Amino acid sequence: MNLTSFSDFCAQAVKEGMLFYYTGEYSKNVIGAMSDTLRHRLDSTDLSGPARRKIFSTFVEMSQNVMHYVDPDHDGIKIGALAVGHTGGKYYVMCGNPVRVEYVERVKEKVEPLRTMTVEEIKSAYRAQLRNEEHEQQDQISKGAGLGFLTVARDASEPIEYQIVYRSERQEFAEFYLRAAI
Amino acid sequence: MQDITIPATAETPEVKFLFSEHQLSLVGESYPENAMSFYAPLRAGLQSYLAQVSEQAPVEVHFSLKYFNSSSTKLLRSLISLLNDAAQSGKRITAYWYHDPEDDMMLEFGQDLQDEFGALHLNVTPFEPA
Repeated sequence: MNLTSFSDFCAQAVKEGMLFYYTGEYSKNVIGAMSDTLRHRLDSTDLSGPARRKIFSTFVEMSQNVMHYVDPDHDGIKIGALAVGHTGGKYYVMCGNPVRVEYVERVKEKVEPLRTMTVEEIKSAYRAQLRNEEHEQQDQISKGAGLGFLTVARDASEPIEYQIVYRSERQEFAEFYLRAAI
Repeated sequence: MQDITIPATAETPEVKFLFSEHQLSLVGESYPENAMSFYAPLRAGLQSYLAQVSEQAPVEVHFSLKYFNSSSTKLLRSLISLLNDAAQSGKRITAYWYHDPEDDMMLEFGQDLQDEFGALHLNVTPFEPA
């Protein structure tokens, strides 16, 4: 990237209200540093306690999702992108990460229904999944409680959005992007 | 039985399972990436304590968590479930679940636990103002 593109990039980020943006290697340390940064930023706002919790929670769920599910590349590195910003009176958290092509349908099946559910339906799906003792047997790929996307949807103030992008240079991978507004 | 005490970190709560005094507490925030490795020993410790504690001993358990991630959520619920089983079998257990008074979602979360674990005396109560 040359300086002109970089200054355009910075101007665009400011225009879109971006608080911070990261793309690259994901590690425990990187997530820790981002968490601290986000905490400081949120503490300097006059947002209510619940709003701060929801923004922070969405960030944690998304970044831990990248850590859990992204396949390391040949150097053993997990790559992901994450952005937090504020526009039109709402905060947004977005993430992007590579997904193996064969898992794309699985991700869609988890996210798509959450887009059309009412708040009450999301809460009751959350409750049911929290009480589901068989999750580990039912879903061998999942590494958590199966509550990650539900938690993001529950804390969002409008339906979550996602996109799957196929790029020709890496045919076995698609890119999965997720956005939640709080 | 050996007490379990673990200082808080950025991602994990302070643990004081003072079995010798029948006073147990989790205080802080809980969002470790691997929640299972943090909670499995706590669950094991709690389970053996509850199996041997006398029915006369009044046990108090405090959950004072400002934030917890989704994988911690399920494990916290499993601790409450152990307490509920013990209460059902006649142990004297009082639990306290603290929440941000402004946060309806966290209040509801506590109320859901109350509904689900009816044998346990579980108080859902706002955090003390700082």
